[in-house]
Amino acid sequence: MSLSLNIPVIETERLILRGPRESDFEPFAAFSASERAKFVGGPYTRYRSWGGFLAGYGHWALRGYGMWMLEDRASGATAGRVGVIFNEGWDEPELGWHIYDGFEGRGLAYEAALAARDYAARHFGITAPISYIDPANTRSKALADRLGARFEREGEVVGEACHVYRHPATEAA
Amino acid sequence: MLTQAPTLETERLILRGPENRDAEPLIAFLCDQERAAGFGASPDRHDAWRWFGLMVGHWHIRGYGYFVIEEKATGKTAGICGIWNPDGWPEPELGWVVFDEFEGMGLAHEAALRAREWAYAPDGLGFTTLTSNIVPSNARSIALAERLGAWAERTYTNVHMGEDILYRHPGPDDLDKDGSVEAYA
Repeated sequence: MSLSLNIPVIETERLILRGPRESDFEPFAAFSASERAKFVGGPYTRYRSWGGFLAGYGHWALRGYGMWMLEDRASGATAGRVGVIFNEGWDEPELGWHIYDGFEGRGLAYEAALAARDYAARHFGITAPISYIDPANTRSKALADRLGARFEREGEVVGEACHVYRHPATEAA
Repeated sequence: MLTQAPTLETERLILRGPENRDAEPLIAFLCDQERAAGFGASPDRHDAWRWFGLMVGHWHIRGYGYFVIEEKATGKTAGICGIWNPDGWPEPELGWVVFDEFEGMGLAHEAALRAREWAYAPDGLGFTTLTSNIVPSNARSIALAERLGAWAERTYTNVHMGEDILYRHPGPDDLDKDGSVEAYA
């Protein structure tokens, strides 16, 4: 028994952005349990990760958009997660990116975020999203800069202080 | 349609997949620290909404999950009941929650019987056994498990709830055609 959530597939030069599959859970849980998750509210227990992973499916069903898994075209491995998050408690839809261990430093987050931002503008009507960034997350700030986003204000999400960046309006072609 | 859940019916209830309109009643329940204690309460709305998303996602990844219990007479969301099997769970379990104003009418029993029948049916899930995980302090759920013919099999440590009692339900061959266990209860 299965039901397609009709999650769109986007191909970029080096990545496939696609809906989550059960086989993505182990890489997802590994990231969530690692020190690398400290900028996204973690590290998380495996049980909590499982809930977060499933809530990712639910987000697509409930909102009609969500986070794609990143598949590295060369290896087929799960490289991270990028997309639009609008959880309860968020001010507005957020463009988010998580790159998993071993896939950093190659511009994959940039490639994926650009594709996701463009798709969100054209198909979801989300044209100038925010990104919540932990003030200490210098790499994420650098990526936001590279994406043309600008610091807008200090904010808070789920009780954590963060910086709110605003992406430039993308033409809804 | 958020899920592929079938729609089941009993005398007073409809069991169906979760829809957007169920979010608020479920959030209200999960944020009620006292009433949701035996189930796993949420610290805030953000967490409760996320749990609603998780409940939707469970249908997608497992092919089964919690139905929403809708009361036929009012169309109201009365609770949730279904088959639940998160990562780290001992086995798939039959679970139930009835919201505040719907207690004391036997609705959880009615819903659980129907969900169990579906889980065992060859054209449902075709399961051959089911459990229910209940924290020792949840006397009402223990009473319902026993009314459903389940017995305490062992105590174990649940990854989410801590000390937990695993109840074992009678299997499909132990039940009457109507799903009841009256014959030997």
